[in-house]
Amino acid sequence: MDRNYHVFSDGRLERHNDTVRLVTLDDEKKFLPIEKAEAVYLHGQIDYNTRLVSFLNKHGVALHIFGWNDYYAGSVMPKRGQTSGTTLVEQVRAYDDLEHRVDLARKFVAGSIHNMRTNVSYYNTRGHDFESVLTTLEETRDRLEETTDVAETMGVEATARRAYYSTFDDILPTGFVFDGRRYNPPDNETNSLISFGNSLVYANIISAIRATALDPAVSYLHEPGERRYSLALDIADLFKPLLADRVIFRLLNRNQLTTDDFETDLNSCLLNERGRETFSKEFEESLEETVEHPQLNRKVSYQYLLRLEAYKLKKHLLTGEEYVPFKRWW
Amino acid sequence: MTDSDPVDLLLQTARDEAGPEEFRVTGVMMQYYVVCKRELWFHSRHVEIDRGNAAVVRGTHVDETAYADKRKHVSIDGTIAIDVLDDGRVMEVKPSSSLVEPAKLQLLYYLWYLKHVVGVEKSGVLAHPTERKREGVELGEEESEQVEDAIRGVYNVVTSDSPPPATEKPVCESCAYHDFCWSC
Ligand code: SF4
Repeated sequence: MDRNYHVFSDGRLERHNDTVRLVTLDDEKKFLPIEKAEAVYLHGQIDYNTRLVSFLNKHGVALHIFGWNDYYAGSVMPKRGQTSGTTLVEQVRAYDDLEHRVDLARKFVAGSIHNMRTNVSYYNTRGHDFESVLTTLEETRDRLEETTDVAETMGVEATARRAYYSTFDDILPTGFVFDGRRYNPPDNETNSLISFGNSLVYANIISAIRATALDPAVSYLHEPGERRYSLALDIADLFKPLLADRVIFRLLNRNQLTTDDFETDLNSCLLNERGRETFSKEFEESLEETVEHPQLNRKVSYQYLLRLEAYKLKKHLLTGEEYVPFKRWW
Repeated sequence: MTDSDPVDLLLQTARDEAGPEEFRVTGVMMQYYVVCKRELWFHSRHVEIDRGNAAVVRGTHVDETAYADKRKHVSIDGTIAIDVLDDGRVMEVKPSSSLVEPAKLQLLYYLWYLKHVVGVEKSGVLAHPTERKREGVELGEEESEQVEDAIRGVYNVVTSDSPPPATEKPVCESCAYHDFCWSC
């Protein structure tokens, strides 16, 4: 699988002959092996020009830009080699058919609840008592079956996620309070980490969707247009517990991140450069973790699971075969 | 969907006499028909995916260099592309031992097409480059029927709203749709 490259320093990213190089403010030059790249993530203040953009475009490499506030600022996506009118038509058809749309929305939520539950039960057996949260998650799962519109489905999702987040204050080491999800901008370290982790999941899914001919703007659980790539929001919910939250728990419980890795002002708290670097590194390692896939009969990386999710959705839309959302099976 | 026989529909299309519904079958479609009907359906809908790991593209003319001096490529109606040997026989190269059946049906289809659309009767030869062997192929009564059944079969697959379900078989391993089919 192709790699992601993260750039943390400030400076200029430019095309240099047939390569891409980073020139930092103190005039240090570094080359990025673009042939093997899936995407480049820009975290610092970086200048770039159209020559660079067309070069990345030619090589099919995406540029994901991480700004301040809630981190994700936007993407420069390469043109797709292939487009599929049929796929887009089927995507829209499913959106327009209320029953079909709600069914897909419910599936995304069912998968999310399952994956949140997996994290909670892991800690439940390791010195925490989360029985009541597990019960709530089971209840929401049952209530999901009875939802008849998207708003209701969203409501169930919100209840489940609130219950799930309520475990964070217990799981995280002392010194890291959470006290509920707030973003735009995040108000404390934990919220900041969740925002950053979720943004990385989101950007990786945008890249995964691009590998299919799915249109990232047509979504089911989230309203199209809620974000530019709202389909990535639908899929991201499935993967946040596996990809973002586990990295957060790991980094904080092992003291790899401390309050020194954040910049706090009156109403916001954001990772500083070193903090982002530590997080991104751990996140990338987690994307490279592998698991035996029962149907493919081989090991696949977590990153490839994102690609498979896009395939599954596309397959469902084109063939009518059932879409089964990602539910962690190990 | 039409009530008329897909074979007639194909012939009308080839002769430019078809109504609003056209039906063309390429040699590759004949091969897919034998190898995997699901793959045929994907192919007919232009379902394309970037396979993460190196895609193995199955093709007819794997061995383009073999026999290059003794044949010429002829394309007919943009539907079929045949290789004609100096002695006038139509040749098809069998790329690997697992693809002998599909290559043979494709060759028979070409012979059938030449006879019914172009109006020339030809003999065929199936070349096995790895075994340095050539096998003569003739379009007899039985073979014609086999081709026409396959044409009807192709029609049923490509006009249906959903593909036949995936069934696991050895060719899946090297199929471009492998991860698409088995991501589940
Ligand atoms: S993976 Fe197997 S079932 Fe799927 S299209 Fe390919 S050959 Fe057919």
